[in-house]
Amino acid sequence: MNRVYRGFILFFLLLVFAALTPWQWYPREWRVWYADNFGASGFQQQAATIPATPGDNAEEACPPDIRGWRKPQTIAGIEVAASPNCLADNPHAVAAFVKGTNNVGHMTLMDARLSPDAVVKGRDLDGDGDPDEIHIRLEVFELNGGSPDLDVPVTQFSIAPGITPGLWVFAPKSAGMSTENFESLIAQPGLRLPSPAIRVEQGDKVIVTLENTHYMPHTIHFHGVDHPFQTAAGEGNDGVPVASEKPVMPGKQRSYEMQPRQAGTMFYHCHVEVQAHVLMGLNGMFIIEENRPNNWVQTFNIGDGFVRHSSVAVQEKYDREYDLHYLDLDKELGEKVQQSNDPRIVTQLINREYDISQADFEYYTLNGRSFPYTARDSLIVVAPDEKIKLRVVNGGSEGVAIHTHGHKVTLTHYDGVEHPEPARITRDVVWIASAQRVDLELSTEDDGLHSYGEGVWLMHDHQERGVTTNGFGPGGNVSAIVYERYLQDDGWPMTFGMGWKNFLTPGFYQRQEDGSGATPLLPGVEASGPSTFRLVMLAAIAGLFAGLLASWAMRGRQRD
Amino acid sequence: MTRSYLRVLVFLASLIVAGFVHGANEHHHHQMPGMSMDATGMVMGNNKDKLPDDCEEITGEYEINVIAGTSFAEPYASTMFGFNEHEWQVKPCSRITVNFKNEDDVRHQWMLHGLPKYLYDRGMFHMEASGGHSQTGVFIVPSDDKTYLVHCDIAQHMEKGMKAQLVVGRGGDDLWSIPGVSADFERPGGILSTRPNFAVLLAGFIFIIVFIIGLKFFRL
Repeated sequence: MNRVYRGFILFFLLLVFAALTPWQWYPREWRVWYADNFGASGFQQQAATIPATPGDNAEEACPPDIRGWRKPQTIAGIEVAASPNCLADNPHAVAAFVKGTNNVGHMTLMDARLSPDAVVKGRDLDGDGDPDEIHIRLEVFELNGGSPDLDVPVTQFSIAPGITPGLWVFAPKSAGMSTENFESLIAQPGLRLPSPAIRVEQGDKVIVTLENTHYMPHTIHFHGVDHPFQTAAGEGNDGVPVASEKPVMPGKQRSYEMQPRQAGTMFYHCHVEVQAHVLMGLNGMFIIEENRPNNWVQTFNIGDGFVRHSSVAVQEKYDREYDLHYLDLDKELGEKVQQSNDPRIVTQLINREYDISQADFEYYTLNGRSFPYTARDSLIVVAPDEKIKLRVVNGGSEGVAIHTHGHKVTLTHYDGVEHPEPARITRDVVWIASAQRVDLELSTEDDGLHSYGEGVWLMHDHQERGVTTNGFGPGGNVSAIVYERYLQDDGWPMTFGMGWKNFLTPGFYQRQEDGSGATPLLPGVEASGPSTFRLVMLAAIAGLFAGLLASWAMRGRQRD
Repeated sequence: MTRSYLRVLVFLASLIVAGFVHGANEHHHHQMPGMSMDATGMVMGNNKDKLPDDCEEITGEYEINVIAGTSFAEPYASTMFGFNEHEWQVKPCSRITVNFKNEDDVRHQWMLHGLPKYLYDRGMFHMEASGGHSQTGVFIVPSDDKTYLVHCDIAQHMEKGMKAQLVVGRGGDDLWSIPGVSADFERPGGILSTRPNFAVLLAGFIFIIVFIIGLKFFRL
């Protein structure tokens, strides 16, 4: 082999080596120099419709509604309104919640995946045409929990693409599997964050039975709901381990009794080790509807959001009603249930070692999900000249400052108590401290005050961390007020900025792109880390070089 | 050891693939024969007399009494739920009557997977008892030697101890993490657990190989 030939091989290998070296391994200055000389020097706008990452694994923005859950329907004699969002609540479950799981047929229960005693509606005590004896059964589920056999979370619920923090939720007593089916690891649609909004009527005799299906002790405290300190039988009824009763142990149950005299938007949550249990997701909205004749209320609103069967009193004043549940989550707290499969260790990690005073909060959810998933089931869909009721709770540990683009909302109720009409405030940033509730009236009258006209108007926490997921945006509790004219047939909003598809990849929330709508042409940001192939080839060439060096070093020596 | 790792990996892969395929076209279930449901629970896949294709006759009759509850977790550290027994042994082509009693105040299930799908919807025999209630169901197993997974599918109940196996004939291998029967699955740790580490290892290996080749190639 002559010298020129060897030199050529060497030079070629060097080029290949340089090309194979992942961009991000080069110093930033080199990359800037490269971009200045061989690429554009500034920014390049991302296309509105084409994903920024070529060959990405973007999810479908709006999964097709193959079961026809979105359309209006009458099930078991109960009218279930059309659901404009792309992911609709299970209409069979809605009907069962309205009529009572004891009053619907077998097929409805099967389709709803509910136990026949999940919501038992009994006698009409005041003779006004609706049941006043309500017995609700709640179970506790762990989502994204650990497993001794798998390296991925089980009973999965993603709050955003690729984000599965450990969660605990209350859910109506269900029947059958917790997952979609045996082959799937994904939680069935009835099991999700947030713990669902519960509705009863003013004056109802309500029993709520907590069936603790979880491996840790829990209770329920009915915050703001008119309830006696003890039940008729003299047992604890406030749900507070330090004041009224012992916690409900795994596999056990307890019933709470109440007959609320006042209507309003209230709250319920677990009161065991509240600094951890509430923030794991064990909190939800508890609504007492005003008493009206023939007032069959939708006892559960799974996943909150649009109410498909509003109460008589709400229908008198409003065209639509939405439940909005804000909750911030601590990533480190959620990981604890995934770190061990031993209940003793999980208990130690959560009840003893978790220190909320040292915590920061990474995930900001609206109705259990973060942007862009909020666009699937938490858009506030409206039409012009409507009045919409928004019931809002902040279940998280930090306040939220909810800002409505294009609208000013009027606060009608604070913590479930009506505010006198002349004193009502209309504004575009609503501050809600932890556990507080506000009822908002959203008017879509285009008068420059209540609404500035039709469009896709964002609605989000204006503390900027609230619009991020793990500190990266857009994410968090961003949703939107969307006028029907701006809604596509499948329920996805018509937007005119950058394509949202970019956000529907797990990679986005691993900071592989940014949400500015522009891509800096600085080489070094790849869809994923260097591929195995690339590393192996790199190593192979490095090996050749090393062999070459060694052979030079040994050149002087005699071969034998 | 390597063989079991491989088997587990193949199982996981098939689970994921099956999950995708199934999730894409989840079919509606209508009331099927062998199903009953009320406030005390339900039985699905009840089958007293339909023989699997590979069985000429019923060769064994078994009646097993299963009790479910948190109290059965006590003998096994790190569990919270359990059955009174976690393993049952039957002959091929047997008829098994299960008396399932739930001692707790919350729901539990005794769900068996892997039966022939032409006879059992989704290959499942499934019993569910509400707190304090009992259910009875019957099913017939086919002729092959196989170990069937039995579990409670309420979130975290299997993970925390409600996992058992039904061994038909000589059975297959024991399933993982069954209280009193098999150890917890050992997740592949260290270099094999994550891809980047694996890649670095592989790269190192290739480096050495090519180093030697390079040495031979350039050393004239």
